[in-house]
Amino acid sequence: MKIVVKHSFKLQPKALVLSLTKNMKALRQIGSLIHKDLALQFRSKETLALIFVFSVLVVLIFAFAFGPIFPEKVERGKLTASVLWAAFIFAGIITLNRSFAVERSNGALHGIRLTGVDASNLYLSKVVSNLVFLSLLEVVITPIALQFLDLLDMVTVTMLLKLLGVLSLGTLGFCAVGVLLAGMSTSANGGESLLSVILLPLVFPIIMGGAKCTVSLLVTGGLDGGFWLKLLVGCSLVFLASAYLLADAVIEE
Amino acid sequence: MRLRASYITKNFGHRAIVKNVTIAVQPGEVVTIFGPNGAGKTTLIKILATLLRPTSGQLEIEGTDAIAHPLQVRSVLGAILHEPLAYTALSPYENLKFFGRMYGIAQLEQRCTTLLAEVGLSRFVHEPLHVFSRGMTQRFMIARALLHHPSVLLFDEPFSGLDAVAKEFVLRRIAQERQNGKGVVITTHSTELGYLAGTRFFFMVNGELEEVASKDEISSETLLHLYEDRLINRAPSA
Repeated sequence: MKIVVKHSFKLQPKALVLSLTKNMKALRQIGSLIHKDLALQFRSKETLALIFVFSVLVVLIFAFAFGPIFPEKVERGKLTASVLWAAFIFAGIITLNRSFAVERSNGALHGIRLTGVDASNLYLSKVVSNLVFLSLLEVVITPIALQFLDLLDMVTVTMLLKLLGVLSLGTLGFCAVGVLLAGMSTSANGGESLLSVILLPLVFPIIMGGAKCTVSLLVTGGLDGGFWLKLLVGCSLVFLASAYLLADAVIEE
Repeated sequence: MRLRASYITKNFGHRAIVKNVTIAVQPGEVVTIFGPNGAGKTTLIKILATLLRPTSGQLEIEGTDAIAHPLQVRSVLGAILHEPLAYTALSPYENLKFFGRMYGIAQLEQRCTTLLAEVGLSRFVHEPLHVFSRGMTQRFMIARALLHHPSVLLFDEPFSGLDAVAKEFVLRRIAQERQNGKGVVITTHSTELGYLAGTRFFFMVNGELEEVASKDEISSETLLHLYEDRLINRAPSA
């Protein structure tokens, strides 16, 4: 029997060049969008002040409510994890709302769509810019929280880096869902409060995994078992992939 | 053909805002659509700009099916809507530079500077847009729409809120773009300015588009008479 191969895979230089050019254009567009988002976020002094003051306030309220004599290390670790996640989740909701309010006002989002940018790339750029912004906030607020809750002396540089890593990972999952939902909710009446209502139940596994990992780090210095870390990583990646696939329908429609 | 829309209908819920609209725009043609508030002009412009998907109908821009492939045709569209389509916290230069990068324009700095000079904003390149007057914002919007040398221009109420000098500027710019072979669609309430800018005229009432005449076939007085007769008398009561 003679087997005839009708189609063979051949390297097609023209198609390869076209694909590379398209990818380069997409990367350039994502870079420009991130640059613009961060420039707008850092230029808006009132938003910066609001988010920073809000986060510090959360830390201070907990510190004064439970202080000045704090319970033992285990309880302090649990308290600090709660304070950090509460502060970052609510600061995150403010950031996401502001981030899309800027796009909706004055038709800027229409302006971006008219450039022919792919909605998925627009979504990715929003995730990255919000992640960078919130991670910077975490870098500033975490040492303040550790100081006020009397844990800073016990935290090594390695532990602090691990802690920031866990917080960033949780922030990635939070932003992955949050950007998509903020894109939908900001166009609706009462969108700011709507975002909190629909986002928090969805990101609960991330908050749970993140808070447990943070407690583990602050109490034992490691991530024992790894179940909560796996939950955190898994949920963040699944949310990111699903939201990326849905972005086109949400932004274009 | 720059643009061809056939049997476009747009429903919001059970209400039809645009009904069976068919329109075609040739290179070097300025199509003016006159209509009262609520006639569906802005909705139609948004559909032609691929920002709204029609409920039914076909839209072809530069030979490409714009409903199936909106991303492919957007780079040939320049639009002015009611809003600036830009970031008011940024300056006109920063805005143009950002949108220019998104379009992938070569020699971008030079293009932004030239364009801002052409629209008379050279002295305000570094002022944020939120301090601009309506007329200055409109000039910026023209620069923003022309940035990437689009072949189809869609202007929704380009004269609203402008003083005489700014209106004259917009008219001159539209004439210039027409001479460059672009296809232009304008919506307006003003028969006087719409007549001066356009080469072919349409009325839009209650979502229905009706071709009136080309400029060679009708005087501005007759157009005004027809406008009063057909639009004002048939407009939905408030």
